[in-house]
Amino acid sequence: MKPIRIMAASGMLGYGFTEEAFKNGLSMGLDLIACDAGSADPGPYYLGSGTAFVSRLAAKRDLGLMVKGGMEAGVPVFIGSAGGSGSNPQVDWTLDILREICEEQNITPKVVVLRSEIKKEKLKSKIENDKISPLGPIAPLTLNDADNSHRVVAMMGVEPFQEALEAGAQVVIAGRSSDAAIYASVPLRLGADPGLSWHMGKIIECGAQVIEPREGQDCVIGTIYSDHFTIEPAHPDRRCTRTRVAAHTLYENPSPYYLKEPNGLLNTKEAVFTQTDERTVKVSGSLWEPSDKYTVKLEGVKELGYRTIFLAGIRDPILVSTISDFLQSCRSRIAKDVLALGVKEDEYTLEIKVYGQNAVMGSNEPVKNSQAHELAVLVDVIAPTEDISRAVCAKARYSLLHTDFPGRMCISGNLAIPFSPSDFSAGNVYEFNIWHVMECDNPLEPVTIEKVDLFN
Amino acid sequence: MTKLRDLAKVIRSKNAGALLLTLDIMFEDETTYKQVCSSGALSPRTLAPLYNVSDNQIEVIPFDVALAIKITLPRVIPAGSPGESDVYGAQQHAPLMDIEIPM
Repeated sequence: MKPIRIMAASGMLGYGFTEEAFKNGLSMGLDLIACDAGSADPGPYYLGSGTAFVSRLAAKRDLGLMVKGGMEAGVPVFIGSAGGSGSNPQVDWTLDILREICEEQNITPKVVVLRSEIKKEKLKSKIENDKISPLGPIAPLTLNDADNSHRVVAMMGVEPFQEALEAGAQVVIAGRSSDAAIYASVPLRLGADPGLSWHMGKIIECGAQVIEPREGQDCVIGTIYSDHFTIEPAHPDRRCTRTRVAAHTLYENPSPYYLKEPNGLLNTKEAVFTQTDERTVKVSGSLWEPSDKYTVKLEGVKELGYRTIFLAGIRDPILVSTISDFLQSCRSRIAKDVLALGVKEDEYTLEIKVYGQNAVMGSNEPVKNSQAHELAVLVDVIAPTEDISRAVCAKARYSLLHTDFPGRMCISGNLAIPFSPSDFSAGNVYEFNIWHVMECDNPLEPVTIEKVDLFN
Repeated sequence: MTKLRDLAKVIRSKNAGALLLTLDIMFEDETTYKQVCSSGALSPRTLAPLYNVSDNQIEVIPFDVALAIKITLPRVIPAGSPGESDVYGAQQHAPLMDIEIPM
């Protein structure tokens, strides 16, 4: 079997890579240049708003080099989970960047777009047919949840990418995708072992995570042979170590041994990791257990309202020592003041966090008596409209600034407010309300495949 | 007794999706790793109270090949929901650092 060589350009499109590594990788002879552009880590906002969490400039720099290199070498270029969450507006954002790149480079690649947003009607029919189940600790999905959802994406497997290649794609811009599938699609299409293909995909999807020294993101090369694969950095002066490669299945996974994919389960329990030279790690023994059902993960959000925040410091030692009681009296005062505006208590949420006390860990905080001499209070208001949200935040600010407490000496104000204006609109607020798996009739069911003419 | 922070090389936390939190403890040498594993100090029963979950909600998985112990448990709320304090779940590891390990 001819070795199959895949380059992951970066752990995240827009996080960057060195041109030196990219050029060196390209010279090794590649079957695919790809990059994952997505993550649910930054939270529900990005899927809700359909906006990217990397800058346009950074995404354009990375994509521009990838497309140029791919076109020159005749190697396909895949972007998975475009724009961060792989929603339609984020796919369009990426396409717009690609259009600009092609204009500037005067190239006309064949582009295929894979979209995987799921419409409410589809969700509801799947719920009615009992084809959706929870993925982890979350309640079963109801028709009501589907109605309340704002945007839902399905995480596609390898098949849509393979279909895009059949259609002659030179560049594929895909919606929400399994990280490993982006890279595993090509070796699987070429007949490589599925356990090795998926495991290789999983390891390279985070880019330079497996590279030493850690100096930011960079390109990583996975090469699949008949009974093993190797992982090495594309940069000639860097190295992959056995520990880093082996440890990678730990990262952001509930289990280091199993990885659920749409058409099966990757089992790395018997995988063997060997350092073959200073910079290369060999992996063998990864197993693939095919499943009889094809399931895709669903990620969905609902809209909650509008957020306003306010941040201030407290340095008064008497107030620092009595902060919990003080906040309790402020909370009841705020509730009364807000009610007087005609806003009922169930119309908004008000969260007051105290940094220096337990803001990070809440009730799990083991340190009960903080020794901090200064504290930060963060007021976080979510309400149905911007007006109500700002009004509640303003009442909270006033109350924190001027409410009395026993022994108070600082009667002109309790807070050090660092900014003018003091209150900040933080935009729409979303919440993950769908984190489930959906059974599909076939791998292409949740995906639309479209050849795109960038200039028409 | 030795604190876990003095035995491990890495003690980290991170989301595993929006609903789970996963904590990794990694060691530099096999002897220390094995000693900590067999000490019984890191079990669902000992760890559950630190995170206010019940024993059966918490999983402790030794991962020999990376000299690592993985701990997975449900998040208090889904990542980024109202009341969130740590969207990435990257700062929830501190209670592990002071666990006393009989060596």
